[in-house]
Amino acid sequence: MAKPNDLVQGTLDLLILKTLSLEPKHGWAIAKRIQQISGEVLQVQQGSLYPALHRLEQKAWIKAKWKETETGRQAKFYSLTVAGRAQLEKEAANWSRLSAAINLVVETT
Amino acid sequence: MVWARRLALRLQTLFHRHRFPQQLDDEIQFHLDQQIAENIAAGRSPEEARYAAMRTFGNPTLLKEETRDTWGWVWLEQFASDLRYATRALRKSPGFSAVAVLTLALGIGANTSIFGLVNGILLVPLPFPNPERLVGITGTYPRGGVVAMREQVRAMDVAAYYEGHEFNLTGLGQPARLTGTRVSAEFFSVLGARPELGRTFLPGEDIPGQDNYVILSHTLWQQRFAGNPTIIGRSIQLEGINRQVLGVMPENFRFPSAKTQVWIPLHNDPRNVILYWADDFMPALGRLRQGFNFKQAQTEIRLFQPRVSAMFPWPMPADWNADVSVVPLRNGMVADVRLRLLVLLGAVTLIVLIACVNVANLTLARSATREKEIAVRTALGAGRKRIVMQLLTESVLLAGFGALLGLALATKGFSLLKVVLPADTPRLNDAHMDWRVLVFTGALAISTGLLSGLAPALQSSRTSPTETLRAGGRASTLPLSRRLRSGLVVAEVAFAVLLVTAAGLLIRSFWALSHVNPGFRSEHVMTARITPNQSFCSDLERCLTFYRTLLDRIQTSPGVDGAALVNTLPLGGRVAKRSLDLEGFIVSRGRTSPLFWLHIVTPDYFRVMGIPLLSGREFTHADLSGAPVAIITAETAQRYWPNQNVIGKHIRLLDDKNWSTVVGVAGDVRAYDLQRNIPAWMNGSVYVPYNSAATLEDGRMPADLSMVIRTIVDSSKTGATLRELVAGVNPDAPVSEVKTMSTVVSESVATPRSTALLFVVFAALALTLGSIGIYGVLSFVVSNRTREIGIRMALGAQRQDVLRSVLTEGGRTSLLGIALGMAAAFALMRVLSSELYRVSATDPLTFGVVAIIVAVIALLACYVPANRAMRVDPMVALRYE
Repeated sequence: MAKPNDLVQGTLDLLILKTLSLEPKHGWAIAKRIQQISGEVLQVQQGSLYPALHRLEQKAWIKAKWKETETGRQAKFYSLTVAGRAQLEKEAANWSRLSAAINLVVETT
Repeated sequence: MVWARRLALRLQTLFHRHRFPQQLDDEIQFHLDQQIAENIAAGRSPEEARYAAMRTFGNPTLLKEETRDTWGWVWLEQFASDLRYATRALRKSPGFSAVAVLTLALGIGANTSIFGLVNGILLVPLPFPNPERLVGITGTYPRGGVVAMREQVRAMDVAAYYEGHEFNLTGLGQPARLTGTRVSAEFFSVLGARPELGRTFLPGEDIPGQDNYVILSHTLWQQRFAGNPTIIGRSIQLEGINRQVLGVMPENFRFPSAKTQVWIPLHNDPRNVILYWADDFMPALGRLRQGFNFKQAQTEIRLFQPRVSAMFPWPMPADWNADVSVVPLRNGMVADVRLRLLVLLGAVTLIVLIACVNVANLTLARSATREKEIAVRTALGAGRKRIVMQLLTESVLLAGFGALLGLALATKGFSLLKVVLPADTPRLNDAHMDWRVLVFTGALAISTGLLSGLAPALQSSRTSPTETLRAGGRASTLPLSRRLRSGLVVAEVAFAVLLVTAAGLLIRSFWALSHVNPGFRSEHVMTARITPNQSFCSDLERCLTFYRTLLDRIQTSPGVDGAALVNTLPLGGRVAKRSLDLEGFIVSRGRTSPLFWLHIVTPDYFRVMGIPLLSGREFTHADLSGAPVAIITAETAQRYWPNQNVIGKHIRLLDDKNWSTVVGVAGDVRAYDLQRNIPAWMNGSVYVPYNSAATLEDGRMPADLSMVIRTIVDSSKTGATLRELVAGVNPDAPVSEVKTMSTVVSESVATPRSTALLFVVFAALALTLGSIGIYGVLSFVVSNRTREIGIRMALGAQRQDVLRSVLTEGGRTSLLGIALGMAAAFALMRVLSSELYRVSATDPLTFGVVAIIVAVIALLACYVPANRAMRVDPMVALRYE
């Protein structure tokens, strides 16, 4: 199982951006979503989301808003900005290229 | 717009940063609660659920710290705390702080005032719209050339001006001599200058018949016309001609220089061939037209040159304006002072460097006593970077206070500088302390802070906490720190040597200059300019009678030994030139006839001025009407008729019919400046008697003359007597520039005097700071060595040995500094050579004297601490530790 620190920083950013691309979510939901989708393979140390979230917020790729959850508590919801969406596309493309290249190397030997 | 959003976010974070930690806590708490709830739902006990949630989350404190870093304002908070800490630390050692602030204030103050000048003269754009489009044309052109340029050059709008015309203002009480500039009609519009009142010239208003106009300077308007606005449209009488006042220029319009009191149209009359093509070769300026650039203007003006040359009614020499080009107008105006200002800036840079070294030294000495404090901080987890940052904050804070005090000093120094510098320094009146100077001072403060703090900070931060704490706080001077400090002293002494050498050379040069034999005796000679209207002398007889009457009357006045007239007073700043033919001298083809300085004098001139006649005779009254005669100077005689009997040779003013016979050879006179007899672009110097044949280039007899009066005793009354006499004979002739010949001489060396004076001040400053530096370091070394000295003395060392040992230490450092400084001076003093007269830039005598002076002062600075070391009582010293 991959330890969270093995997740390269850029990758974590990509995962967050991708997760937010459908709808706004709070931190915990983001962590859960990443875990679920990756079939529990990617187990992010949940706390390490927060430095990443705040960094992305400072870069204006995501924005945050305090809103009420279904259970009536105040939570900080993150959503993608226009610049964030562009960044997501760029990073996703990069990622595809990189993983395709690695696949190619790994499988042709 | 991402960047705008980012900026907004950062500012938001900055201003609301107190709210952020709380929000982060809430956010993380929410996360944990969610996770706990999920864990409970999965069937764990609340206790277990909480631990599991914490485990999957990680270390919240660390993560919060990491998150805080992303907000990007940690450095600011650290800086604020550093600043608080620095203030406290400086307040704790007021002695050190005061000396450091004062030292830096002197350095920064000197720099700021000189930079104020550099800024005002070299950097600030000219006060006209789009000043970057204004260019100066390096050649000079007669009126015809200017008109042709105006019509043919397409890259720019062209204007021209001739500075230094003089006009009598009459009909309004006491007549006054005004300095005016003749300008082409486009002059003001090309510059883009607007009048304060009325209007400027319109195109065509420099054509004869449409040019009886004048524009006044603000100062003249205030002084002569009491600032009365109804002057616009009225006529005033200049040189006997009525001119309508069109406008008044604002106070800050000082072009071409602050001397100009009136602007008058050029009078472009093509029918007057001499006036149009031969008179008043004047500089031109231009404003680049829309769509043209500097390069194109340059190309065009070079192509224009052969064309304008061909337009002259006579063949022009091939080298006339051959290297014409276009320069930014401001550069052209200040070309003469640029080097001098940069040299001054270099000098004050050395001073601020010395100040920095001094403060670095003091800080090093002080940091030895702070080793323990720093060791504690390191032991408590402060990284080296944080320690360095904190120490640097301290020195920058010091420099900041130094800069504040320096700014106050600089304001004072700046107004002093304006007085010390020669009044004719271009743009001097435009120079003000503005925001650029403030920015400069701010930048200087930061860099001096860093410069003076960096070495000590790096040094201190190397402290090993274990050793220092174990040593129990006893100052343990690291050998490296001691070497660093000696190195700093060496640098300081070397800088001081550079400045003192420069001052020494300039003083020697100035001394040589003031002891030059000018070729005349200036004691007991009064001078004054008498300037009737030019039209007054169109009637030659009236003019000659006026001056003859005047001379007769002044010569019989009490206390007057003799009086004479001359067109151009030696060192008086005016030049009169004529081309002429010399007997036996053939002008080679393509070259112009020799250009001579034409002195027009009355018979007594040589005796009154004390100019020796080397051979032949003086002019007599008979020469005023008899056969034409001339007297040449010794240098001229040597140049054209070497080793021949000159008496009886002939010369002829160009365009003159008659040859004049040389009747005498006069001693050379420093006529142009004290360095030279005549300017380098002239070939010789000749005297002719003041009569109807004595004409200037424009074919007219000069109406304005200088009177020289030899008095028996110096008396201020002579000037008043002269004024009365002139008013009695011709009430419309102003008398101006009444001063003694000694004053004239002294004014001619205003520039070298001011440069030498400034350097003396700088050198004194450098020596003071330098000796404080040596003294400080040695005192510290001695107090550090007290114990060692005590042991030595207890073991039988003599006081003399101790004295010698300390003196040797100081002396070695100083000598090394002096040697390095000398070497640097040897290489660098070249930049001064244009300012030096009869002193080589590597004058061995000056270098030797400077070395001795600096060595003596260094030794004195060493002696005080050495003396203290000698008096160490071994018992006290040993018990003390």
